[in-house]
Amino acid sequence: MQNNAVNAGNDRPSAPVLAARELSKRYEDGVLALDRLNLQVQSGEIYAMLGGNGAGKTTAINLFLNFIDPSEGEALIGGIVTHRDPIAAKKQVAFVSENVMLYPNFTALQNLDYFSRLGGRTGYTREDYRKVLLRVGLQEEAHAKKLRTYSKGMRQKCGIAIAILKDAPAILLDEPTSGLDPKAGLEFIALLQELRDEGRAILMSTHDIFRAKQVADKVGIMNRGRLVAEKHRSELEGEDLEKLYVAYMAGYMEAAV
Amino acid sequence: MLSLLIQKELKSIIASPKFVGTFGTCAVLILLSVFIGIQEYRASMTQYETARQLNDQEMAESSSWSALHTRVYRQPDPMQIFVSGVHYDIGRFSAISEWEEIKLRRSNYSEDPIFAIFRFIDFSFVVQIALSLLAILFTYDAINGEREQGTLKLTFANPVPRVRYILGKLIGSWLGMVIPLLIPILLALLLVLLYRIPLTADHWLRIFLLIGFSLLFFTFFLALGLLVSARTRSSSVAFLLLLVGWVTLVLIIPRAGAMLAGQLVPVPGIAEIDSKLAGYSQERWDQHSEAMSQRYQERNAVTAGMSAEEREAYEDANMWAWLEEEDAERKKLQQDISEYGRKLQEDFRNRRAIQEQLAFILARFSPASAYQLAAMQLAGNDIDLKTRYEDAMQAYRTIFNDFLDMKRKESGGHSGMRISISSESGINISTGGVDAQSLDLSEVPRFTPPDYLLSRSLGRVMPDLVLLVLFTVLAFAGAFVGFLRYDVR
Ligand SMILES: Nc1ncnc2c1ncn2[C@@H]1O[C@H](COP(=O)(O)OP(=O)(O)OP(=O)(O)O)[C@@H](O)[C@H]1O
Ligand SMILES: [Mg+2]
Repeated sequence: MQNNAVNAGNDRPSAPVLAARELSKRYEDGVLALDRLNLQVQSGEIYAMLGGNGAGKTTAINLFLNFIDPSEGEALIGGIVTHRDPIAAKKQVAFVSENVMLYPNFTALQNLDYFSRLGGRTGYTREDYRKVLLRVGLQEEAHAKKLRTYSKGMRQKCGIAIAILKDAPAILLDEPTSGLDPKAGLEFIALLQELRDEGRAILMSTHDIFRAKQVADKVGIMNRGRLVAEKHRSELEGEDLEKLYVAYMAGYMEAAV
Repeated sequence: MLSLLIQKELKSIIASPKFVGTFGTCAVLILLSVFIGIQEYRASMTQYETARQLNDQEMAESSSWSALHTRVYRQPDPMQIFVSGVHYDIGRFSAISEWEEIKLRRSNYSEDPIFAIFRFIDFSFVVQIALSLLAILFTYDAINGEREQGTLKLTFANPVPRVRYILGKLIGSWLGMVIPLLIPILLALLLVLLYRIPLTADHWLRIFLLIGFSLLFFTFFLALGLLVSARTRSSSVAFLLLLVGWVTLVLIIPRAGAMLAGQLVPVPGIAEIDSKLAGYSQERWDQHSEAMSQRYQERNAVTAGMSAEEREAYEDANMWAWLEEEDAERKKLQQDISEYGRKLQEDFRNRRAIQEQLAFILARFSPASAYQLAAMQLAGNDIDLKTRYEDAMQAYRTIFNDFLDMKRKESGGHSGMRISISSESGINISTGGVDAQSLDLSEVPRFTPPDYLLSRSLGRVMPDLVLLVLFTVLAFAGAFVGFLRYDVR
């Protein structure tokens, strides 16, 4: 609500770039993976989803990307209901999965070029690709190498580069730092902050409580498909997020969100 | 967007490690098959020419019109280079004479049974076996492979309509494989030109149509690969399914169709027909010789009481009439036997035609059969080749025999035999008339091979074209529908 230029001088929150409304997903086998999720991410805001394995984070992100259809409720990107008009919605969002997989027989540059064009960005030059790869921390000599020679962390960086190149108002990240070395992890945090300062809405799932506290404007804690707590940055000041997390996980303080 | 997807597909095919190996194999197979085809064609051409020369020579050595007989050879056609069809299975020639029925004898396979077991590899075989496998090999993981690889997720995190994606897959993999395939095909055609195989415009048209059909058949397997790939989660399952499907479509259905038809419409074997005909002709000849001796006895009875001079005078006066009578009897007999044989043949052919039709209908449930039948039609090496030749030979036999008849009459001779039975000298047989020393063979009518018009081939391949297109469209539609609901995760 605060660092939003568009919203200056207005009490009402601006339309969120990312929003979930009563978003629920019950898989075919009956598992209720997501239970009436409500959340909003404004532009220029980083939202970190915390939660144990199987809490429903990936499910939520998959619903935003319309990889699966919601059982109830809806996910919106830029005001567009994703399962109603997935094509329009996907124009507004970039995505980095927890294990970025690209075409192994293509070089990093070729992968970047392909996915940028797929995302509708056709104006990039080789120089642009070079710059962005350097920005995410991939050294020059790796640029023309086939992806199959890449390590997991290098692929992750490449995936982040692709997300940057898409230049979308919303970014979804599913455990983006998995596989990154500590230095790359740090650089990534800096990069996220840059992207936020450019005014993008970022929704990220992570297991890294420390990083989440460091960069997130909002932290949501999920447990068994439900958002059990949502804390604003200001509320976390001085709080031990780790303790809070463990407490929620253990089922204490089943506070309404 | 579509062109981007197509380009990517092209690039990933060409950059894939399996590309070089598989295409190398297919290219070698195509070139090899055409090369062998050319050699075989040239060999059969030489054999054909030599055999004809030998036959001409034998004819020239014949000293009487009555003894003249000939052989007619099946003319090799350059299309056999690409599609051997039944070319090696059916006999190469038939004797043409008054006393022998038309029968194609001595097929290549009967002379070299080893090839009957392993068959020759021709272009249509390579297409049917190797190219279909190639198509499967490149599409079995087209979609589920991208899912397993994880790229499908990132792709569909972008505004990509599914319809366009699968269309891009089909077009991309088609171009990515057809363009490289055209190279060995063009080289093969070059080989045909280098060896100066005499090809008419008609041949070229047939060749291009054959290539078109081959590509269509190939496209079907691409679409089938996509179909299975778009309906399975894992590429290994897809590969297994496709292998089973391939074996069923390419190996089992065509044969099962023929076998089932054989069970449903039994057709008497050749041996059965031959023995029927032999039995009939034996019976008739027996009757004939009985009747003949009867006649001679009657004639002899008349002259029994005569003196030798009287008898000779009487015989001389009646000889021509008797000869004419005998000749007519014999002709009628031969005609009857021919007629009976023809009837048997016709009946046999009719039943066989029904069986074949049924077999074809059943076999055409497989696109491989549809392709095979179309290829054979286009090459003129189809199942009717034998009948066409037999009919043409039958027609020629009539012309040839009529010609001989005419010649015999012209040269004042009689085609009949003079048989006299007397108590002193027993039975005397002599052929009537005296022929010229050397025969003028230039007037002997020549055999013209049955023509097989392109328009007729086209008419015949229409059902197969429709079927192949239908199969392909169905497979693609199935892939398309499957992919619309495909879980990209
Ligand atoms: N395709 C599926 N079919 C059935 N159940 C599923 C499917 N995918 C996920 N689930 C279930 O949904 C629940 C939430 O899974 P999800 O992947 O969203 O968890 P997550 O929070 O991303 O966990 P992690 O931290 O391990 O990535 C789990 O109980 C999981 O078993
Ligand atoms: Mg997850």
